[in-house]
Amino acid sequence: MSSRREFFSEFWASKTAKVGVLFLAIVVFFSLYTVATFPLDYGTRYWNNPKYWADNPKLAMPQWVNFFTGNNLLLHRMITISAPQKMYPSGAYYVKSYEASFDLDVDQFPTFLTLKLESVSFFSPKAPAIVFLVTRPDNRTIELSKITVEPPLSTEEPPYVRYVDEPRRLLVSGEPQLSITLSDFLLKAYNLSFEPGQVAYIGYEKVIFGEPCYGTFKPLKGKYLFTVLLYAKDARDQIGKVTIVLGGQVYGFMGTDLLGRDLAQGLLFGFPVALLIGFATSVLSTLIGAVLGIASGYVGGRLDDVIQRICDVMNNMPQLPLLIFLVFIFGNKLWIIVAVLVIFGWPSLAIVVRSMVLQAKSSSFIDAAISIGAPRWWIMARHIFPQVAPFILAQMIFFTPAAILSEAALSFLGLGDPSIPTWGQILEQGFHSGAVFLGHWWWILPPGLLIVFSAVTFVLIALGLEPVVNPRLRRWR
Amino acid sequence: MGLGRKLAFKAISLAIVLAVVLFLTVMIIGATGISDKILNGMVQERLRTMRQELAREIKDPEALNRALEKIREDLIKSYGLDRPWYARMPDMIWRIVTLDLGVSKTVTSFSGSNKISDIILERFPNTIFLMVTVLIINFVVSLFVGVRAATRPGSFLDRSISLFSSISYALPTWWLGMLMILVFAFYLRLFPYGGMYSAPPPTDPLMRALDLIWHLCLPVLTLVIATSGSWIYITRSIVITTAQEDFVDVARAKGLPERLVLWRYVIRVAAPPILTNLMLGLAAYLGGAILTEAVFSWPGMGLLYFEAIMSVDEALILALTYIYTLIYVVIRFVLEVLYIIVDPRVRYT
Repeated sequence: MSSRREFFSEFWASKTAKVGVLFLAIVVFFSLYTVATFPLDYGTRYWNNPKYWADNPKLAMPQWVNFFTGNNLLLHRMITISAPQKMYPSGAYYVKSYEASFDLDVDQFPTFLTLKLESVSFFSPKAPAIVFLVTRPDNRTIELSKITVEPPLSTEEPPYVRYVDEPRRLLVSGEPQLSITLSDFLLKAYNLSFEPGQVAYIGYEKVIFGEPCYGTFKPLKGKYLFTVLLYAKDARDQIGKVTIVLGGQVYGFMGTDLLGRDLAQGLLFGFPVALLIGFATSVLSTLIGAVLGIASGYVGGRLDDVIQRICDVMNNMPQLPLLIFLVFIFGNKLWIIVAVLVIFGWPSLAIVVRSMVLQAKSSSFIDAAISIGAPRWWIMARHIFPQVAPFILAQMIFFTPAAILSEAALSFLGLGDPSIPTWGQILEQGFHSGAVFLGHWWWILPPGLLIVFSAVTFVLIALGLEPVVNPRLRRWR
Repeated sequence: MGLGRKLAFKAISLAIVLAVVLFLTVMIIGATGISDKILNGMVQERLRTMRQELAREIKDPEALNRALEKIREDLIKSYGLDRPWYARMPDMIWRIVTLDLGVSKTVTSFSGSNKISDIILERFPNTIFLMVTVLIINFVVSLFVGVRAATRPGSFLDRSISLFSSISYALPTWWLGMLMILVFAFYLRLFPYGGMYSAPPPTDPLMRALDLIWHLCLPVLTLVIATSGSWIYITRSIVITTAQEDFVDVARAKGLPERLVLWRYVIRVAAPPILTNLMLGLAAYLGGAILTEAVFSWPGMGLLYFEAIMSVDEALILALTYIYTLIYVVIRFVLEVLYIIVDPRVRYT
């Protein structure tokens, strides 16, 4: 190792190293992107908060599935209306009409229909009534739901405001009264008689968005007009925001899980966490291992004995059972996981560094340095360390995938830090929700592939470093 | 150093590992107050059974309570709950060594007992069965494939093995297991999703054995794929290095057949370092086996870990940690003995 430049040029000469660096660049890019765009408390504030994901479809496949399968699956749709399109007096009421249209262009039924109302404000003590209607492509109209806003308490002053902190969410396809309406509708429109119970059994979405066809229902394609009518006593009454959610079968780039969480977000958040775990563990365990290894090799004597005995014992322990034990007892915090990984990481390095130091110690220039009276720490830092440094660097990179994999394994056993989403935890939740047994491949494949990808990145870099660090290997490649 | 002394030395150093693990774990659960929780649980359990027994004899509720209170005090004393945790550490360690591992909170054995030693004893053979099956397959595969690759360095087989081993290093065993289930059980419907026998298990012994093998296929395949890569690679590297030694050239020069050169001159010499490397990989292998059991709900001790974590059962976790360390230490010792068998230098020096 004559110069640093030679070191890098040799490293760069190997194909594995180039691919490894390219992969690392990808991992670092996604990590930086995530750190820059996601809040740090993403895990507790959004990921583990089911309310945040309430409007998402559950277990939806990624959108690009449509591209491969040909049979088009319905995209998830969220339509927001913030101002009424029409306003007219009707008897004693002012009617405000919030309208939105939706084009059903594939042969699928929406998986659910939700109406969400936010910031309803009214002035008269009589609360307004809200009616939700849909007009189908065949110009038939169904009244989906009637909502009465909670009337004001005697202590309240106008304007009375409702649903500000917590929007009023109405899962239309879960309303029991709707079965009677739909049963009537079927009788009038198609002269078919279905008991309300039967309608509920068939599923409201099929009736609302379909037409009868040989005993079953097939989707009725075309334009649907959703209307939310606000019957107000006062002209100033209004709904701040109306949102109509049509549950799709495909969602986003990575699909959703059982809670409707956008898997793409969770997977993105896993990048910086994996890097953090990998780097923190490898840097700390290399640091401890190198310092103790050099000290053990160079100082020798009692210190050497003690360090080597500890290393022997630690190296002969089965890692995973003790990892499980320690993380289980001390709590599943990320820093505890890292600390435990460090405790088990350093001994193997200390043993090898010690033997390398022993070799380096016997060279004549060390004797020369000692003879001119150089202090011990100076010799260790200036003469011994540079000799073992490349090896230590290679080991550090080799520790990284091990740390990432160990954290993922702990997460899979249910010992991951619950406040921080990681790939391992996404897999654990998938496994426990039966994703493997039900074929929810989009929940199982991507997180695992990312774990492998990030681990392979560091394996490749380490392999690229190997011939540089260990000149004996150069002959073989 | 004689053979016996060498083995004794190894045995002692492995026993120290076991002792250190035991000491540290007991100390940790003592200092964190978890041992009080475990022991209290044991006292409560004993009291519950006592109450049922005594209720038949003592009809007066007052007297019953007084009797139970007396028993409770005795139990607390006998479990050492009236003393600080460090004072009862020796007792605790002794109890674990003698496999008096306490009771589990929710997990029960297949026969219904909630004594941890019963639960573990029942599952122990299943774990060993899986581990040993894979160990043997790995050993055979790595020997044959590794040697084959070593005799043709740079060939397609050799290069694919290098690639395979570096990928398998980065491949989480448990995720591979999930993929196996997804592909072979869910999509292809070739193998069962998990477990050890079909429900209900076949009564005919032959069918029962076949059923077991059928259930064994996926977990074994998973573990072999995940762990054999590095084994094959290590075998290959050591065999290649040995094959370049001068005495191999001499053997060839003598005109010995290539098979003989390979098996007697190369592999015979390469065997000890291969074995050493297998020992070093054992810890990773043990971890893989635990996780594989959890994925395939193989009713062994690895799955038990999963259940213990789910039900927050400290006593069970402690017991499993101890038993796994024990297994590890025993397998290590067996490998050490094997090492002495294959390496004559150890015997004659």
